[in-house]
Amino acid sequence: MLRYTMIRTVWVFIILVTILSINFILLKNAPEYPPTIEEQREIYYARQVSDGYMTIVLERDPEMVEIIRQELREPAASDEYTLIRNAWYRDEGDQFRIYQPVPLINQYFNWVRNIVTEWNWGVSTRVQANVPVFDILLSRIPVTFQLNIVALFFYIPIGFLLGIVAALRKDSFLDNFISVAVMILISLPSFVTMTFLVLVFGYGLGWLPVQFPPADVTGSIRYTAFVLPVLGLSFGALASLTRTSRAELSEVLTSEFLLLARTKGLSQTQAVLRHAMRNSMVPLVPGIIASFVGLLSGSVIIEVIYSIPGTGRIFIRAMTQNNYDFNLILGITAFYTVISLFAILLVDLSYGLVDPRIRMGARK
Amino acid sequence: MNINNTNPNVDKDKLQFVQRDEKIFDKKFETKPVGYFKDAMIRFVKNKTNVVATAILFTLIALSILIPTFTNKNFTTLEPRMAFLPPRVPILENFGILDGNVYIENQQIIPETIDPETGLGVPDQTRYPQEYIDKDTLINYEIACSEITENCMGGLVNFANREADSSSTFKAPGTFFPDLDGNPTVTIDASEVQISEGTSFSVLVNDGAGNYVSIGEVTEAGVSEFSVLDAIENPDDLFIYSTELRFLFENSAPDDYVRLENVLFTFEGAEAPLVDASGYSLASFETLDGTGRLTRFEATITMSSFEFDAYGAALGDYRIANFSKAEYEDIVQNHQSCSVVDNPDNPNGWYLSEGCPVREVLSVSEPVVVDGEEYVSYELIMNYGLYAGYEDTPYYLAGTTNTGRDLFNLAWVALRTSLLIGVSAALVNITIGIIYGAISGYYGGKVDILMERFSEIIARIPFLVVLAIAVAYIGPGITTLFIVLIVSGWIGVASVTRTQFYRYKGREYVLASRTLGAKDNRLIFRHILPNGIGTIITASILSIPLVIFTESTLSYLGFGIGHGQSFNIGPIEFSGVSIGVLLADGRAEIISRPYLTIWPAVIISILMITFNLFGNALRDAFNPSLRGSE
Repeated sequence: MLRYTMIRTVWVFIILVTILSINFILLKNAPEYPPTIEEQREIYYARQVSDGYMTIVLERDPEMVEIIRQELREPAASDEYTLIRNAWYRDEGDQFRIYQPVPLINQYFNWVRNIVTEWNWGVSTRVQANVPVFDILLSRIPVTFQLNIVALFFYIPIGFLLGIVAALRKDSFLDNFISVAVMILISLPSFVTMTFLVLVFGYGLGWLPVQFPPADVTGSIRYTAFVLPVLGLSFGALASLTRTSRAELSEVLTSEFLLLARTKGLSQTQAVLRHAMRNSMVPLVPGIIASFVGLLSGSVIIEVIYSIPGTGRIFIRAMTQNNYDFNLILGITAFYTVISLFAILLVDLSYGLVDPRIRMGARK
Repeated sequence: MNINNTNPNVDKDKLQFVQRDEKIFDKKFETKPVGYFKDAMIRFVKNKTNVVATAILFTLIALSILIPTFTNKNFTTLEPRMAFLPPRVPILENFGILDGNVYIENQQIIPETIDPETGLGVPDQTRYPQEYIDKDTLINYEIACSEITENCMGGLVNFANREADSSSTFKAPGTFFPDLDGNPTVTIDASEVQISEGTSFSVLVNDGAGNYVSIGEVTEAGVSEFSVLDAIENPDDLFIYSTELRFLFENSAPDDYVRLENVLFTFEGAEAPLVDASGYSLASFETLDGTGRLTRFEATITMSSFEFDAYGAALGDYRIANFSKAEYEDIVQNHQSCSVVDNPDNPNGWYLSEGCPVREVLSVSEPVVVDGEEYVSYELIMNYGLYAGYEDTPYYLAGTTNTGRDLFNLAWVALRTSLLIGVSAALVNITIGIIYGAISGYYGGKVDILMERFSEIIARIPFLVVLAIAVAYIGPGITTLFIVLIVSGWIGVASVTRTQFYRYKGREYVLASRTLGAKDNRLIFRHILPNGIGTIITASILSIPLVIFTESTLSYLGFGIGHGQSFNIGPIEFSGVSIGVLLADGRAEIISRPYLTIWPAVIISILMITFNLFGNALRDAFNPSLRGSE
């Protein structure tokens, strides 16, 4: 088991580093969108230099300064001189101060060093100029996590219950009803269900808030505001959990060991609880952990619809067209990658924990 | 074999062997063989729900191609006059539902429009022309208001100072000429007075010598009367006395206020009171100096709610301020019924005869000369229905969008766009997946391990990462959409294909073929792939709704296709909308016009449900373990 765990952990780390590196290199290579306000831009570039992504080149040669100015006046002729191309510069009278990006590979190693030694993920450029990305993330993560955890604790028991009921009363009216409901819920896109929930319970009946309240609002609205997003988020997961648990359980119910359990003299309840349920758990537990990843990325759209100040919404804001905030995007995608890979690691390990056969098989 | 059912009393002579003298080992079967696909078909047809779902699915696809092709309604061009029309459905409209009327609430009425018979007023004529308001449903009601406007009527006016220990002067608008013989008096009806010690709210008038003199103070609630003559030392000297009415609020504490209901300034023998201020007129007293502030209490504004014939209004007459002469002449020439009729009331304009799109020309502008050419524009009243060529009021089954496009048709166009993107992305995924899975599964060993690791890494990339990178390089649009759909979309098919190859590649018939000299190519495509094709097809079909799902989500968020991008394939138009785009548009109007959301949502829901049912039916049908079981 130890060997299995280690192999899986190392492998997940390899994947993580690969994805984050590809992501960094590709995003850094794209045209940059520095802060729009002049003062903030100066701070930003100074910071880029101190973080090792840029260098300052001073062009003191009066001839060259004149050439640059000439080119700035007539951009069409600027094919020859490339020092100010793709760079930020300042005309300081007798010299040009040019901030030039260092080669991408050096940027990459500086980025790794910054993260490993200082936990420095860079600063935001457009969403909240010059605020460290990790601070923005920290202020957003709690809401997203609350939402997803509540959704998780909402749909797991209900999904199980419905699945068990449907499997035990197979082909009854109840089972058919549950199956139809599952089919519908699994098919509806979450933004459609969420829109209708808001339309009916928010605007129509007025029972629940139509959007997430700001952080300074207190009182019961803080709790009622979670109802709709949790519902919108978990309907799909609820339906698929019901479906898989029904399928698994009804398969186990027809197996021979359950017949053996009955012949030993166990009651139906005992047989179901002690034998059928435990065996049907084997594929379900990893499935639930994996569904958390789906839930998390599904919450992006719910956050947008319900104006929840979570990581998903800030991601969409950072992705506003021609107003991209790549450092922030990098930080948020890193967050989502880490969470999903961690969940996948848990899935792999839980297979081993739940099913002894896999545990044994791994020890080749 | 059920022994109980055989009848033991049958005579033995009656039994005879069928094939005693026949050899049957090389005889043909009398029944037809059931092949793999036929068997799948039999199982597919057995499940009635799935057959119905499949029928609905294919009907949807057919409708999405047919309906927009054969419609006469506009779903492509911009038509602002027809924007936001509610749904209107034949037959149903006779029962008062979906009849093209909208219920308009909370519209301020214009007091002049109040009908003396009914006592009901209607709002602004230009927005809600009176003839399209259903008079039976028109109601007026009052709601509280606090702004200082003419429509906000009645109530009390609060006189106060914004800052503590300050003074301010309020002035009734105008200058007055009371007749001193009539004993001019100022009557003030105060409903509440809250002033602390040392504070005074005094009434000032001009004493005739240019000084403003107090004629009294309001100290408590109730009606108080002040005679102007008190302020004037020698009234006999004044030949013409002109005055102003002012209030001076001095040294007030922060919570001090005087709340007045009415201020009356009059004299005996006056035709009309000089000042009779209450409500709005009282609130429009001027604040001359200091930090004085007037606020209104218990004032009300009259609002109206009514059923409004949106179609009638959209197709009815409207005024255009700048209509070019060239275009006008074009219209007049193309319509035989257009002939000029003089308008005796308006020498600058003229009427046009009945049936002409232009109803009336109100005025003609001064000619503007640009580059030697003279341009003249008309201000005219146009009938939109005749102008745009609507013979009857159209039935927009699902209403129109913010650009005046027919939502019913647009949703079908959106559906086929979604389907096209979904199917083509799925095709690419299936192709990549089958090739990748085939190579990985067929060769096995090191190749397989490496390819598996690679696909695992690809599968682990969150789609947000792919989205971010694609958007960074390409920007939102259809290319980004395809990239996001394809980058990790092929993995499912690849893993299914790989499993199938693992399953069949070791079989004896493959070995036999290989022994006969078959190359890899032939083994893969002739022997292994056809055997596993059922499962692969199922996995592929089930991936289509997932792709459509992702597509609509991305378009909803604004990273997929948008309104600007329209493309056509042959005669079939795909104007740059998908269901996700329509829903994103509808979101902005969700409170006032939920129908913009409901129709696209219904379409995509039916599509997803039937597609999933269809996929499940295929899975059951192609599942070899169920073969012959039913």
